Amino acid sequence: MDTTFSQWAWLIPLFPFAAFLMLLAFGRGQRMLGVTLGAASSFAGLVLSILVLIEHMTDGTAYYQYAFKWLHFGSVTLNAGFEVTNLTAIMLVVVTSVSFLVNVYSAGYMKDDERISVFFSYVALFSFSMLGLVLADNMLTLYIFWELVGVCSFLLVGFWYSKPEAKAAAKKAFIVTRIGDAGLLLGILLLYWYMPDHALDFVRIGNVFEGNTGVIAAGVTTWIAVLIFIGAVGKSGQFPLHVWLPDAMEGPTPISALIHAATMVAAGVYLVARTFDIFQASQTAMDIVAYVGGFTAIFAATIGVAQNDIKRILAYSTVSQLGYMMMALGLNSLTGGIFHLFTHAFFKALLFLGAGSVIHAVHTQNIHEMGGLGSKMRITTWTFAIGALALSGIPPFSGFWSKDMILHTALQEKPFLFVIGVAAAFFTAFYMSRLFFLVFMGKPKGDHAHESPSSMTIPLVVLAVLAVVAGFIQTPWNDTLGTWLTDGAEKAHGGGGLVMVISAAVGLLGLYLGWLVFVKGTIARDAVSSRAPWLVRLLERKYYMDELYEMLLVRPLRGLGLLLNLIDDYVVDGIVRAVGGTAVLFGRGGTRLQSGQIQTYGLVTLLGIVILIAAIVGRRFW
Amino acid sequence: MDAAQQQLQSLTWSDAGYLAPEWILIAFAILLAVLDLFMPQRSGRSIIGWLTLGGLLTSLGFVVWRVLDMANKASDAEAAGQAASVTIRLMADSYRIDYFSSMLKIVFLVATALIVLMSLGTVKRAEIPDKGEFYYLLLPAVVGAMIMASSGDLITLYIGLELLSITTYVLVGMRKHAVQSSEAAFKYVVTGGISSALILFGMSYLYGVTGATNLGAIAQGVQQHAADYPALLYVGFFFILAGLGIKIAAAPFHYWAADVYQGAPTPVTAFLAVVSKGAAFAVIFRIVYNVAFYASSPGKPIADDVFLAVNVLAAAAMLIGSTMALRQFNVKRLIALSGVANAGYMLVPLGLSLKGMHASNFGEFVFYLAVYLLMTIGALSVFSVISKSVGHDEVGGFSGLYYRAPWTAAAMIVFVLSLAGLPVTGGFFGKLFILLGAAQSRLYWIVAIMVVSSVISYYFYFRVIRQMFMRSTIDNEVDVPATSGVVIWLCAIATVVLGIVPGPVLDWIHSHFSIVNDLFIR
Repeated sequence: MDTTFSQWAWLIPLFPFAAFLMLLAFGRGQRMLGVTLGAASSFAGLVLSILVLIEHMTDGTAYYQYAFKWLHFGSVTLNAGFEVTNLTAIMLVVVTSVSFLVNVYSAGYMKDDERISVFFSYVALFSFSMLGLVLADNMLTLYIFWELVGVCSFLLVGFWYSKPEAKAAAKKAFIVTRIGDAGLLLGILLLYWYMPDHALDFVRIGNVFEGNTGVIAAGVTTWIAVLIFIGAVGKSGQFPLHVWLPDAMEGPTPISALIHAATMVAAGVYLVARTFDIFQASQTAMDIVAYVGGFTAIFAATIGVAQNDIKRILAYSTVSQLGYMMMALGLNSLTGGIFHLFTHAFFKALLFLGAGSVIHAVHTQNIHEMGGLGSKMRITTWTFAIGALALSGIPPFSGFWSKDMILHTALQEKPFLFVIGVAAAFFTAFYMSRLFFLVFMGKPKGDHAHESPSSMTIPLVVLAVLAVVAGFIQTPWNDTLGTWLTDGAEKAHGGGGLVMVISAAVGLLGLYLGWLVFVKGTIARDAVSSRAPWLVRLLERKYYMDELYEMLLVRPLRGLGLLLNLIDDYVVDGIVRAVGGTAVLFGRGGTRLQSGQIQTYGLVTLLGIVILIAAIVGRRFW
Repeated sequence: MDAAQQQLQSLTWSDAGYLAPEWILIAFAILLAVLDLFMPQRSGRSIIGWLTLGGLLTSLGFVVWRVLDMANKASDAEAAGQAASVTIRLMADSYRIDYFSSMLKIVFLVATALIVLMSLGTVKRAEIPDKGEFYYLLLPAVVGAMIMASSGDLITLYIGLELLSITTYVLVGMRKHAVQSSEAAFKYVVTGGISSALILFGMSYLYGVTGATNLGAIAQGVQQHAADYPALLYVGFFFILAGLGIKIAAAPFHYWAADVYQGAPTPVTAFLAVVSKGAAFAVIFRIVYNVAFYASSPGKPIADDVFLAVNVLAAAAMLIGSTMALRQFNVKRLIALSGVANAGYMLVPLGLSLKGMHASNFGEFVFYLAVYLLMTIGALSVFSVISKSVGHDEVGGFSGLYYRAPWTAAAMIVFVLSLAGLPVTGGFFGKLFILLGAAQSRLYWIVAIMVVSSVISYYFYFRVIRQMFMRSTIDNEVDVPATSGVVIWLCAIATVVLGIVPGPVLDWIHSHFSIVNDLFIR
């Protein structure tokens, strides 16, 4: 087993980290430095990642792990290190390639921003954290990078902080994903306690859970899996914690492509895949994953139909596609989930960057204010079309193959989810054709639009090529990825002619319907909204999820804070005033203190003791 | 040692040598008071500040030397195959120099030294007229804290407590011309009085039941009488707990904290938040593990109830501290409420008791205390610089700091991330170790409350970060005095180092501290 390159894999995250440090130290006023360092460091990472991947491709059993003693408490020793498996190798390539292309693209897109080097330093820090997350060999290190990724996302979403929406979105993204992270942390703690020797590294986790040996009780396994899944739900924008992802579109568009399409949001899927043995040991947890994923897929796809902001449509599409990946994992198809992650990373990054190119040209994000860009921005249009076809699942583009695999698995395992998946695929095709036709066809709404500079179009072309070919690594006739990824455990899904036909037909149907409505006009655009305005409203308002959160969580919590302060100010104070007033009545000469508050504190203290004693000791005597 | 045989041992000259750190501080305090008296009114008092710092560092040197000496002796004894305890017991075990007290003394002295250093640049005569007094009064206060950590007897313990309290009453009121400061001092005196009264009341019950003041003797007495006088023991323990609960500002005994922290000069706020709180924790640790731990007999699980009470206090402090902070915009009140929540975190390892698998309570506690020291003092020194620049105490003062003073803002981010418990900071590992400990003791409800309250706390900690990054600049120059800069950077670097390699520190604590030698006074 030759691991020449794998043992140097730890360098991959260090390239961007070095770039970050240099930008922090010398970045001020050096506009070109950010571009150069960002691109160079991510390119170095990409080259090494590809070498690592080739090494793993040529030798399917290549594996490298290195760890050193890191923490020591009580009788427990925690190691930290990195591990290169086939799964990590493919993730490394996904992350570094998208990161490199986004760096190049940003050179054009962010050209006029005065804080361009700050931007590149944040991106470098993000790449470092994300690559660290991918390479981590144990849960604790993964969690640390997981949090760092969240902090970087916070900074990048709020990069244009002068927009209040961007600020609010950054906060929302951070707080909402934190809820998920709390679940993940609890899951890790539970795992820590129940694992033999308190081991947290993936190898031993795999050994313990593989084959359901009963080392850890079934109920506990389910809890651990569900808590880890909650972390994944937060990061990967699954229902009901998806609300942050569409808002996060307030960040610069290259960031949406990098973080909110290809890498960070995929971290949740990656986490589930990395701890797949735990999930496989609990059917309940698998079902939860599958149904949450399936529900998210259809839920977000329907919302996407009624949105008017080009990036928000893509964001809901991302949520929905992540739902597909989760569904695949929940249906016991590791290959399906990772395969879709792989293809989605390319075509969704392509779509976001294409959208960025459009926004760059027309300076609006509302698709109704665009139109007829097809003739003016040829490269953007063609590449965007490829991305849209891949997303809609039209053969032979990459999205078709991965979606087909998921749908096929669903049909075999849970036909209900197959129906859901097909319906979501229909909506996907429909909102993409709506988006495409409104933006690129029809009459031009302004005449100043022009093609973007080559630093932006070249990444588009590269991604478009990838969006076409990436699907061929795993087709019904060719099981390369599955065998390689799961060591032959998952067999090819063969046959499936019917599923392929249905999946392609549904995609074409969605596109055709979109064409009828938005180009040909056979069906009036207000066909639905005139008959069922409530339905459109419900979708526009995203099923009122934000309002629901406001009502159920934000307000009660704020209220609690207010209440505690009010109790402090009025109730306790009032009691004291009453007591004090009586005292004053009795002793006319009673001194008046400067502030009424101080008696309050004494009284609260005494009340505290009484309650404490009554509650804890009382139960022993009565 | 049996209570009946116990005789008052006088302090011999050789014993006095062990008390060198305390003597040095007292000598410095007296000399500086005299110096202050003879110095001309107009000349600056910074020299007194530097001398105070010198005294603290000398004392710290002696404490460290003693610890190293003890470690050497222990390894010698081990090499010779003896299991010798290296604990130094003075005056019939009423004053103990062991790893427990020494580690805490290091924390207190480092904290006070940092506080003096941060005052040197920011404390102005216009604000605090008696600058000399301000500096040298910190010395007896820290001696009080050291006595509390070292005492193995209720009497010494109480003396330390009062020494610390009375000097801090004065320190809080140092901004003589500010009404807020005098009000804060007054409130602190009254609350402090209530606290002392409660503690004394509780102590008198313990004495009444056992007839002893030595903690070891009380532990034995409690073990014998737990079945006979459960009610009296409950009263004793709970009143002591409540009195100390005031000192550590744990909910529901925290109400004074916000007012007093706000009114006090910023360095004194830092002192109250770190040293005063830490010393009270030391006492709780002693009382809970040394005495209450034994108060059980079949059918009368007094010990379990005391541990439960500590847990309940911890939970209340975490939840109330973080929710009340949601609506707070004044930085010092925010620090006070975050201090309430942090008191809750530090109470968790105290409430875990010692169960089979888990015995690293002290390590978890002291590690978090050290991290808390760094992040609180660091954040407060950044704040004192900022509030000088903008002229008010609101969170808004931080707005656009990243663009005005990027390095100071970077340091502040480290502190806020650490307070919020995010990696890569000491705060993350501090909380993680406590969480792991609680998980090991299978106290899942406290784990859940801890996680929930830290999620709530992100909301207000990130308010500060958002101010720094995502607000437009206000045009005040930020002038960071060299001394404050040193404090800020020492704290920031140490916080990050503890966040990357917490191992060595934790190993050191675990390899030296032993429950049998350090906590159980027998």
